[in-house]
Amino acid sequence: MIPLQAVTLTDRILNLIGLDASTAGPLVVFGVSILAAGLVGTFVLLNTAVAGPYAKRKITAAFTDRISVNRIGPAGIGTIVVDSVRLLSKELIIPEDADRPAYDLAPILLAGSALLGFAVIPMGSGIQVADPEIGLAYVFAVASIASLGLLMAGYASNNKYSFLGGLRAVAQNIAYEIPLVLTGASVVIFAGTLRLSEIVAAQEGTLLALGPVAIPNWFAFVNPFAFALFMAANLAEVGRNPFDIPEAPTEIVAGYQTEYSSVYFVLFYLGEFIHIFLGGAIITTLFLGGPAGPVLPGIVWFTIKIWSVFLFTQWARSAVPRFRIDQLIALGWKVLLVLSLANLLLTAVIVGVIA
Amino acid sequence: MSLQDRTPVEPDVGVDEDGLDYDELEALLDGRVLDREDHVNAEGFVIRPDEVQQVLSTLKEEAGFDHCSAVTAQEYDDRFESIYHLKKFEDPTQELSVIVPTSKDNPVSESAAPVYDTADWHEREAYDLVGINYEGHPDLRRILLPETWQGHPLSERYNQTQPQVVPLREHANPLEEDHRGDGEDADTMFVNIGPHHPATHGVLHVKTVLDGEQIVDLDPDIGYLHRCEEQMCEQGTYRHQIMPYPDRWDYTPGGLLNEWAYARAAEDLADIDVPEYAQVLRTMSAELTRIAAHMLAVGTFGLDLYGDFTVIFMYAIRDREVVQNLLEDLTGQRLMFNYFRLGGVAWDLPEPREEYLDKVREFTADIPDRLEEYHNLISGNEIFQMRCVDTGILPPETAKSYGATGPVARGSGIDYDLRRDDPYGYYDELDWDVITEDGCDNYARLLVRLKEVEESAKIIRQCADLLSEWPEDDRTIQSNVPRTLRPDPDKEIYRAVEGAKGELGIYIRSDGTDKPARFKIRSPCFSNLQTLPVMSEGEYIPDMVASLGSLDIVLGEVDR
Amino acid sequence: MSSDHTSPADSTETKSTREARMGEGVDDRFNSRLREAFGSSPFILTKFDQFMNWVRGSSMFMLQFGIACCSIEMMHTYAVKHDLDRFHAGVPRASPRQADVMIVPGTIVSKFAPRMKRVYDQVPEPKFVIGMGSCTISGGPFQEGYNVLKGAEEVIPVDIHVPGCPPRPEALVYGVAKLQERIANGESSPVVVKPYELEEFGDLEDDELVEHLADQIDAEDLVMRYNWVDSP
Repeated sequence: MIPLQAVTLTDRILNLIGLDASTAGPLVVFGVSILAAGLVGTFVLLNTAVAGPYAKRKITAAFTDRISVNRIGPAGIGTIVVDSVRLLSKELIIPEDADRPAYDLAPILLAGSALLGFAVIPMGSGIQVADPEIGLAYVFAVASIASLGLLMAGYASNNKYSFLGGLRAVAQNIAYEIPLVLTGASVVIFAGTLRLSEIVAAQEGTLLALGPVAIPNWFAFVNPFAFALFMAANLAEVGRNPFDIPEAPTEIVAGYQTEYSSVYFVLFYLGEFIHIFLGGAIITTLFLGGPAGPVLPGIVWFTIKIWSVFLFTQWARSAVPRFRIDQLIALGWKVLLVLSLANLLLTAVIVGVIA
Repeated sequence: MSLQDRTPVEPDVGVDEDGLDYDELEALLDGRVLDREDHVNAEGFVIRPDEVQQVLSTLKEEAGFDHCSAVTAQEYDDRFESIYHLKKFEDPTQELSVIVPTSKDNPVSESAAPVYDTADWHEREAYDLVGINYEGHPDLRRILLPETWQGHPLSERYNQTQPQVVPLREHANPLEEDHRGDGEDADTMFVNIGPHHPATHGVLHVKTVLDGEQIVDLDPDIGYLHRCEEQMCEQGTYRHQIMPYPDRWDYTPGGLLNEWAYARAAEDLADIDVPEYAQVLRTMSAELTRIAAHMLAVGTFGLDLYGDFTVIFMYAIRDREVVQNLLEDLTGQRLMFNYFRLGGVAWDLPEPREEYLDKVREFTADIPDRLEEYHNLISGNEIFQMRCVDTGILPPETAKSYGATGPVARGSGIDYDLRRDDPYGYYDELDWDVITEDGCDNYARLLVRLKEVEESAKIIRQCADLLSEWPEDDRTIQSNVPRTLRPDPDKEIYRAVEGAKGELGIYIRSDGTDKPARFKIRSPCFSNLQTLPVMSEGEYIPDMVASLGSLDIVLGEVDR
Repeated sequence: MSSDHTSPADSTETKSTREARMGEGVDDRFNSRLREAFGSSPFILTKFDQFMNWVRGSSMFMLQFGIACCSIEMMHTYAVKHDLDRFHAGVPRASPRQADVMIVPGTIVSKFAPRMKRVYDQVPEPKFVIGMGSCTISGGPFQEGYNVLKGAEEVIPVDIHVPGCPPRPEALVYGVAKLQERIANGESSPVVVKPYELEEFGDLEDDELVEHLADQIDAEDLVMRYNWVDSP
């Protein structure tokens, strides 16, 4: 296992090219940082590209006993290329009365906010662009910018369905962000820090050893209750069944993205999937020991873990009906919020008493 | 199981041991009956056009005719005529037609909408297609054709080649002030749902006014699939040319059930006998289509609640494929069967018979297991129950007044199934049950469908056994029917069967030629859809979508 | 209804759908500024055209759109067993803005035709239409109806007709595959001009009917005029 150090990717690249972070000029550090961010961004986008047009279809097909794409490339993998090129080459229609800057910014905001979150996620093998002390707060903060994007999209499209979708999205995100953050806070109490690399480090070691099987000290095992809460709130946060009401096709067509075509639609589509992966990354970091795992390098374990979360969202999508908007809000405010508060208090008491 | 009080202490007025006593009914109406006509299914009372409400409310309140099946409008050489086909939910064999003639120059007749809610749409349709004006109708607009249409297509003077102009009206910006009404409701939003919308099961247009996400006002706008089915049937000859059209009314497929509606009406009109063997074949194949239709209803209901490409939809389609294969082996088509003939069916079972029947038996034997899957997946799911239980409430009295039939009525606890109450085919010889649920909500309607699939499987199984034991020398599939069928002139009949969606009735008037003079379709979906505003006003959009799904409308049948 | 009202500019002559779609002059399917700059089509752009054709022919999003009987078979085509997604064509999008191909599954009647045209206009280029079933070819069994359009082609251009009443799912799969083949070979080309938008009531030629309706319809309302006499 590669030891996790509080060393960022920028420092590592600098070391690689024989420079020292403390002595290199600020311009060089800036350039290298951009490079590091680019690398991480590429990695994330690569995952999304596989997930969006391809894996999603294949996974849904597997759940519903179909084959799905299989004509272009081995097992249809070429669909990633053709789909994206085709979508990008479509006509970009902007509705007549669209609120222009907002209409254009919304998709960028959605995709960008999710990508920003990845800046502080420790992905193993020393890949982490930045490791600020308030890492967790930062992730939650940038992830919630997305709801602003959704509201902008819904409002600016000048379409009633978009409008309803945007409002639904905001109502839902606000209702579920609080339980999400509160549950995240219970992890912070365990780990005693907001710095993500330290949260990961806190999960090293063994919780229980059952003969040859050692259960690691992941917070998912330490506090499964918080894990379940977080998973549920996260599903709502990324808008997947049973909480996919902001874009529920049979109710409000496609919600906030109804009017978007071509590039903007691709950005929305991408943004959604980046958000799912960001959700997966947060869950991985907070509850699943980050990139920790035997034999394989950290980045591989990290990828496996975020993909498991993705698989879970697709599973839920295939099999679970969606809530009604009022039921969803009621569940968020009356159940999840109370449970996450209780969880936080209990954790605080237990940690305070025991430690 | 039923909400109804099934112990009527005293029979309604005008009922004796043999059924209806029309003389007594005439006496009840106190001289308002001008004349009596003899229709094949029931007697018809001719009344004055300005006494419609009085007569109908007397019949409804005192004689117990609580079901207005349909309103047929037609034009004769010298007059217009509206016929109200009345029935009882308790016993649909007790029928009565109320005939309202109006003059040719001024076709105005009193509306029955205040008495029977269902007459609202039926009279609008009569106004739209034939051109009779109904006085006192709450909202007499065109219903099937565009508002700006010129002429009434089923009237005699209509010129089919005249040009028409159809507008597509824009709707205002959603962020502006309210679009309807003023004052306190001014913060509502008007939304068009459909005609192209994923949840409308075709091309239904629902004009909704929303307050937040709640529905304040709702107006289903139909006619986007009005394919002139009645005109088509009036242009076809009885023997062969009409039969393909019923398949296309309820295409989910209720095909064979619809064909049966026409077959039953035409056979009774022309006194054609159907061999018993053919009746068994009809019963079996019709129940197979019922299973297919209910599966689709369940699948698309899942689509409405889950989103597309979810497991429940795929399950339903998978099972439908099995049924469709069986039906294809029998009839030669997957969807538009055209299998019934007047006096029987087109073909016997495919050879080898036993192999086919074994396939059918295997399928019916699988049904309980498959339904178990459905129950695990949908009706047992907590979120699903949260969504469906106690939403889309349709109280039984309202359902009756709107003429709701089929699974919609049975989900509201109305014990009404024409297969049992007005037996035809081979149903009364078989052992099966009518399913009712008392929930009156979306969930109850779904449960009724799922359970009916099981009952249908029971019927099919018994039919398969009968068919394999049937003596070889007695397998007549069609009786002798004249090559050109010309029923006696001026015979009128209204006959209904239990279609996949409810009471599917056909009214035929013959004029001595080989084509019907008037062919009217009483579609169950048309009446069922009228209950949508009752079910969804005050509820949320998702509930409206779920209610629409649980009504299981087929636009082909609504618009015809 | 003839096609004359579909393009008010040249109302006298009737064009074939393809002519109407292609417009006059050179084939400038991709509206490329580059092409203008280069003059004729250089090798690199031809190759690029071929690549784009291949891409568009290899993958498509369908419009989730059901009209009549055929939509049942269309659902079967999307679902298990027939699984249209195998051909990279099985993603139904509810919003026309995100669709490439519109399968028209059923009879089009007078009330629906303007709405369908509107939906067609909302689909971004390049867009293709598959007419499914006899009704979209000629009106099918309902051709003689007073309210039925004699085929989808009276309203919108159709690239592939799949005959049948209704076509089996296999037939629709074949139709989709055939459309993909045609697009990939550059035979089914995207629209450049948009001659298919609805006209305003005020622009209609004045005649008895228009005068009669003048108080019911605003001059700015979009309308569709049906001249049933001219229908095939």
